[in-house]
Amino acid sequence: MKKGILYLNQFFGQIGGEDKADYEPSIHEGQVGAGLLLNSLLEDTEITHTVICGDNFMGSNEAVAVDTILGFLEGKEFDIFFAGPAFQAGRYGNACGVICKAVKEKFGVPVITSMHPENPGVDMFKKDVYILRGGPSAANMKKDMTQMAELGNKFLKGEKIKGAETEGYYPRGIRLEIFLEDETPASKRAINMLLKKINNEPFVSELPIPELETVPIAPAIELANAKIALITSGGIVPVGNPDKIQSSSATRWGRYSIAGMKRLGNEAEGAFKTIHAGYDPSAANADPNITLPLDALRAYEEEGKIKSIHDYYYATVGTGTAEGEAARMALEIIEYLKADDVDAVILTST
Amino acid sequence: MRLEIGNFQVENIEFGMKSSYENGTLTVNKEEALSVVMKDEHITEADIILTKPGDDVRIVPVKEAIEPRFRLNDGPTFPGITGKLNSVGNGKTVALKNCSVLAVGKRWGSFGDGLIDMSGEGAKYSIFSQFINICLVADTDEEFERHEIQKKNHAIRWAAHRLAEYLGSIVKDITPDTTEIFELEPITKRDEKVNSLPSVVYVMQAQSQIEESGFNDLVYGWDTNSILPTFMHPNEIFDGAVIGGSYMCCSSKWSTFDFQNCPTIKSLYNEHGKTINFLGVIMSNLNVSLEQKERAAMFVQQIASSLGADAAIITEEGYGNTDADFIRVITLLEEAGIKTVGMTNECTGRDGLSQPLAALDVAADAIISCGNVSTLIELPPMGTVIGDLDALMRDGLSGGWADDEKLGPSVRADGSIIMENNAMFCGDSTLGQSIKTVIEF
Repeated sequence: MKKGILYLNQFFGQIGGEDKADYEPSIHEGQVGAGLLLNSLLEDTEITHTVICGDNFMGSNEAVAVDTILGFLEGKEFDIFFAGPAFQAGRYGNACGVICKAVKEKFGVPVITSMHPENPGVDMFKKDVYILRGGPSAANMKKDMTQMAELGNKFLKGEKIKGAETEGYYPRGIRLEIFLEDETPASKRAINMLLKKINNEPFVSELPIPELETVPIAPAIELANAKIALITSGGIVPVGNPDKIQSSSATRWGRYSIAGMKRLGNEAEGAFKTIHAGYDPSAANADPNITLPLDALRAYEEEGKIKSIHDYYYATVGTGTAEGEAARMALEIIEYLKADDVDAVILTST
Repeated sequence: MRLEIGNFQVENIEFGMKSSYENGTLTVNKEEALSVVMKDEHITEADIILTKPGDDVRIVPVKEAIEPRFRLNDGPTFPGITGKLNSVGNGKTVALKNCSVLAVGKRWGSFGDGLIDMSGEGAKYSIFSQFINICLVADTDEEFERHEIQKKNHAIRWAAHRLAEYLGSIVKDITPDTTEIFELEPITKRDEKVNSLPSVVYVMQAQSQIEESGFNDLVYGWDTNSILPTFMHPNEIFDGAVIGGSYMCCSSKWSTFDFQNCPTIKSLYNEHGKTINFLGVIMSNLNVSLEQKERAAMFVQQIASSLGADAAIITEEGYGNTDADFIRVITLLEEAGIKTVGMTNECTGRDGLSQPLAALDVAADAIISCGNVSTLIELPPMGTVIGDLDALMRDGLSGGWADDEKLGPSVRADGSIIMENNAMFCGDSTLGQSIKTVIEF
């Protein structure tokens, strides 16, 4: 028999209405209120405890509320954590999101809640928590709780889940490949989509264009007073590749001194080369400065066009490298740039 | 153009005294077949190993796949590759179905090479696990690229095409089991009913990213890096005018076999005269400099517009840098009022959190997704390896690695492997075979 814990607000935890919204967190053995329903829907699993907290208390004392509740859970055995459903109630949605996220991070168990699409908690927490698409009001309690239990049962049994749309939760921004159960080949899917598009019938793209994060252009700087750093995704590394940066799908980056160096020596001189597998390496191996233009930048430094060059350059490989990995590596590199008061970066590819 | 492909459904392949075909069994005189392979003095050693679906076999590094074919009217079967130049797509060709010739490195792999498992969990990742595979396992004297990550693999790829042509020749005088006829009349000579249907072009963006010749897909033996987009008859694609290249992460690649059997062209043929008027193929490319990308996209738009296309299907052989070409052409076609569906794979990272394509535009509102190149795949050891398993971690195959802090090396001591989908041989099949898609989790 597996064990689950449920979070409810003051109303569904039967403490009281709006006048009890400041109710401090408490934990109760067994099931309270809607917990009885959830308990009856779970397979081979018991809701052993119910946590109750007032929506206002969570809203105005979040840190205290979360600490208190995590303290309640410390040392308790449980395999899954539920919260809500929160319907369209904004404060309750926020509370369910906050506590689910905190429990997931601390205890690593699956966490499930449910909200109506217009609940602001959806956008706040859908990337962190499985939030099922719920109804607007408590009239949907049975339906929403059933959905929560069904997804919970899958996690508890270790079944593979079938994606956001099929399971009924809000997409979390995670795109993964699947094999289609009906095995319709891409050629047929393409023709069907084309015919619908031609005939102005509705169709669903398999790759919805995501909202793009655009980076505003940085304000201009005074070049003559600027310290410039060089970064490349073109795979220029010391011969021997000391950090073993991968030639494609890179997860590693390197930081190499160019202090006092006029230009990068080449592979034949035993100095620098490229380990990037996505372009013809011969020119860069003969003269790595064409990928990482240290020679040109030193000339600018001598002419006084720029003040100085940061003593290290940074390198990774861009081919096949996922955007998420690139963003992580950038954040790690930025720490070094900030520490040395770098004003601007020249980022070169291949 | 009218192409008649005479199909022989191969159920069994064995070696024997005399090369022949009877009742679904292909008998191959190995010595004779190898003599065709060894015609190139750069092949230093070669063997042919047979394997069939269900075998406890892993094949790596696979460089190319070809369906055995023979052109009956006038050779060669692969113009500009196995012989002089001649037009293909018209006339008669025989094909050995249910099997493929695989070009396998005896020892050395390269960036664009892939892996095939003939059974078990790994078999679902490549369509080539479903065929009887005639593995040409060879080594060459191409010392200049022996330790390069990028290899042209010229000798072994050309030898595999010769072998495919030789195997096809075995059935040249025999009546085929079935015959497929592909006939598409000239655009201005179609009847009123066909002309009244929405006109559709198929845009193929073939891999052409390497400036130096010897790596890219070839059209009639000509490097696709050096072409401007050009109009082709779909039968030419089926009949050996285009061969696969030796660069690109493997799951994104199109092998010669994929061109010969392009399912999307077959689907367009099926709809021709019923729901659409299939105009033909615009063969484009994926060069790396921005001006080259823009020029190619302009040409595709112009050709499609001049032909009077109402709609298009476009597919790219690659991801990352090439997404820029893919999205740019979709945008220009849509701007010209041509309703476009794109077919591609995605690179969303092992955790699925990364931006799916390197370039995006809201004009690309109809996309078929064929897989995620970064999917992490862990597979148990297989009883037999054809080729050299270490190539996956040693030779820079995209999707394989020598070591990783968390995952260790791609190839473990017991023969089990961990790799990215990137290294699955032609795994994402963006020419239309893919039964994969990518969804939100």
